[in-house]
Amino acid sequence: MRAVLLRLLLLLVLLAVIARAQVWRVDTGTSVALAAGALLLCGLFAGKVAKGVGLPRLTGYLLVGVAVGPYALGFIPGAGVKGLELVKGLAVSLIALVAGTELQWGLIRRVGVKVATLCCLVCGVTFVVICAALFSLKPWLPFLAPMTTGQALAVSALVSMVVVSFSPTVTIAIVQETSARGSFTEFLMALVIIGDLVVMVGFAVAAGITRASFGGGLDVGGLVGGVGWELFGSVVVGCVLAVCMLLYMRRVKRELPLFLVGLCFASAEAGARLHLSPLLVSLAAGALIVNLDEREGERIHHAIQRAGLPIFALFFAAAGAGLKLDALVTVGPAALLLVALRAVAIYGSCRRFAPPDDPRLRQYLWMGLISQAGVTFGLAALVSRTFPDFGAQVEVLIVAMITAHELIGPVLTRRAIQRSGESHTDDAPNVA
Amino acid sequence: MQALLVLLAIAALSLLASDRRVLDPGRSAALAQLAASGLLFLALGALVGPDALRIFSPKDLVAMQPLLALGLGVAGVSVGLNLEPRLLRMLPKEIYLAALAHSGTAFLWVALPLAGPLLFTAGMPAGAVVGAVALLGAAASLSSGHFAVLGYRTGRMERHRGLSVALLTMLDDVVGLGVLMIALSFGTAALPWEGLGLVVLTLLLGAVCGALLAFLMHGLSDLGELMAVLLGGVALVSGAAAYLRMSTLLAGVACGATLIWVGGRAVHQAARVLGRFERPAYLLLIFLVGVHVHTRDLMAWALLPAYLGLRFLGKILGGALAQRVAGHRLSLPPRLGYALIPQGGLALCLVAEYLVLVPGSLSQRVFDVVVAGAIINELLGNRAFQRVLTPPSHGRRGWEGTP
Repeated sequence: MRAVLLRLLLLLVLLAVIARAQVWRVDTGTSVALAAGALLLCGLFAGKVAKGVGLPRLTGYLLVGVAVGPYALGFIPGAGVKGLELVKGLAVSLIALVAGTELQWGLIRRVGVKVATLCCLVCGVTFVVICAALFSLKPWLPFLAPMTTGQALAVSALVSMVVVSFSPTVTIAIVQETSARGSFTEFLMALVIIGDLVVMVGFAVAAGITRASFGGGLDVGGLVGGVGWELFGSVVVGCVLAVCMLLYMRRVKRELPLFLVGLCFASAEAGARLHLSPLLVSLAAGALIVNLDEREGERIHHAIQRAGLPIFALFFAAAGAGLKLDALVTVGPAALLLVALRAVAIYGSCRRFAPPDDPRLRQYLWMGLISQAGVTFGLAALVSRTFPDFGAQVEVLIVAMITAHELIGPVLTRRAIQRSGESHTDDAPNVA
Repeated sequence: MQALLVLLAIAALSLLASDRRVLDPGRSAALAQLAASGLLFLALGALVGPDALRIFSPKDLVAMQPLLALGLGVAGVSVGLNLEPRLLRMLPKEIYLAALAHSGTAFLWVALPLAGPLLFTAGMPAGAVVGAVALLGAAASLSSGHFAVLGYRTGRMERHRGLSVALLTMLDDVVGLGVLMIALSFGTAALPWEGLGLVVLTLLLGAVCGALLAFLMHGLSDLGELMAVLLGGVALVSGAAAYLRMSTLLAGVACGATLIWVGGRAVHQAARVLGRFERPAYLLLIFLVGVHVHTRDLMAWALLPAYLGLRFLGKILGGALAQRVAGHRLSLPPRLGYALIPQGGLALCLVAEYLVLVPGSLSQRVFDVVVAGAIINELLGNRAFQRVLTPPSHGRRGWEGTP
């Protein structure tokens, strides 16, 4: 442990020296590669430190990212962190691909209905609670205050839909880290994944209504088409991707990790350009592969585990570096209130509606649903782009919430898995 | 988007370059040769660049700077990792002298005659021209031993001879890197001694990163972690150098050399893993180099024949000198100069680095000449190497010496 801390400290000293070199190199060059290298190395060793003190490695990646990022110590310039957006897309795709390989038809048949019902209830209750809270805060929230009642209600609904979202990325990464297997883990993973679909549909509807309330008119056809394209288009593209992967694995059989990284990168980038959900594309691909050929699904799982460590460490450290701590200061009280309300709503609905046949679900499931990350970031950015009048302020509020959720979510998720008794080891090699 | 485009282009080119029909010398020897050496990527990069088909815009080139820095960093670390101390200590001084003789001769043959035309056409201060001319000479001094390696692997050349040629061409990398340091000393700062200070700092940065990396790797047993640390280290050293506008190539070399000197067994293991990424990284790098080519500089086209001719003469003469110096120590083939005609990827790295750090019309001209020269030298190299394989006539044997 002391040796790992020493390594981390030395890395930070080197980064501090490089950052201070600005004094004599005022006109500095590109910082993306520096950000990538520094975050990867610091993330790796911070993950080891976190593990040493009983926290998830992921929390270590995030915390070191926050520390060296532009909003704390400032060792890594903001431009460098922004340049790593590509890595984020790649990591989400890889993580979703692994998650997809868990979705075997037998599992979907066994828990599908139960999960979907609970998901709708948890999302519904959380949505109502957050929407009511936001609407009540109308006089105090600068972006809601000048709006009419109808507009404020629509915007509250839109923001609530974003706030409801979970983080499949964090959940899957923690499941990988703890090598967890069992019915509780399956239920949790299925819930966060289906939750994403529910949020996607709900967000599209809320955005359509908000646009109509601001005089844009309610375009039902466009709304249905957009949601349909994002959902079904993603699944279709995912299926095509699955066929490509199966062909490659059966015919070429070489350098699978490298091939998967390349394909996931291309699918993430192309998916984002085509307004598809990169998460859903990879999820569908993984699910189809494992249901067509279980052995190849296992191969993908192991290949991503081998190539995944640097990508996951870099992804979460970059996510940490991108957390805007200044947003937490400006809209902190409102954000913390919403964080608390969301947690209470998730806790209450899980305790009340979770299937009674497994008491662990009622006791610990809520802890696994607190995290928020990539999907929420994406939706917040979309709000900002779609509604320039008030979107930027909404984004600040949501990012402040994500910051809080990123810091406590992974710890709670790991605790949920450990308390459920399905965490097999914390020393699994080659995992995030 | 441009990053996706680059990766997709590389993927498509990789498939194309590994296609049996392309690699079949029976169909098109030149195409097969360019595909095998990877220079096909260079030519295609130049074709899709902002100066030809304009698929990439100048804005895209700026966005691709991190990739270029990373590619140069990987190349530098790979060169540094090859500087095995045990092997370097074992070599007698005649071998170093032979490498210096062949690369130094080519350097002088190119740099001295071309200094005049560059000085009069560039309209720039003499210091800047000295740097540019030195770079042109440095690129000319480098050779690639891949034909020799291919020759002994296919049984067309005796193994010892092939290895001797490959060893000489490996050692001339040091000469090229040394000249890059001189050129950067003249080009990157207002005063040469300030530039020299910057070069020293670059090497120091690389050495510190290498030492730290060796320490980080110490005690790691998991191969995945080792790979992650090495990849992170390569990105860190290239990124730090690019951020501070220093040479990523030199920092990478210093990092790799330090790593191999102090890193121990773990480094060897990690270096093998890095080797898996070397080929894709190299292809990506030379594609990016190709994208930076300006095809419409008439002066560069005018300089090209002179550069090629002078380099050819320099290599023939330098090869003969090297033969005399180390002919009794190494099993060198007769007509050694002909085996030294192909240029390696490091020549492209040198001029790319110079273009990034000393941007301007002069460095662009040097860059264009060397890139075009590399492709032509590769095509000429195969034919020239045939002469190395053919036994020399009776009368010439005495002049060139027998090993």
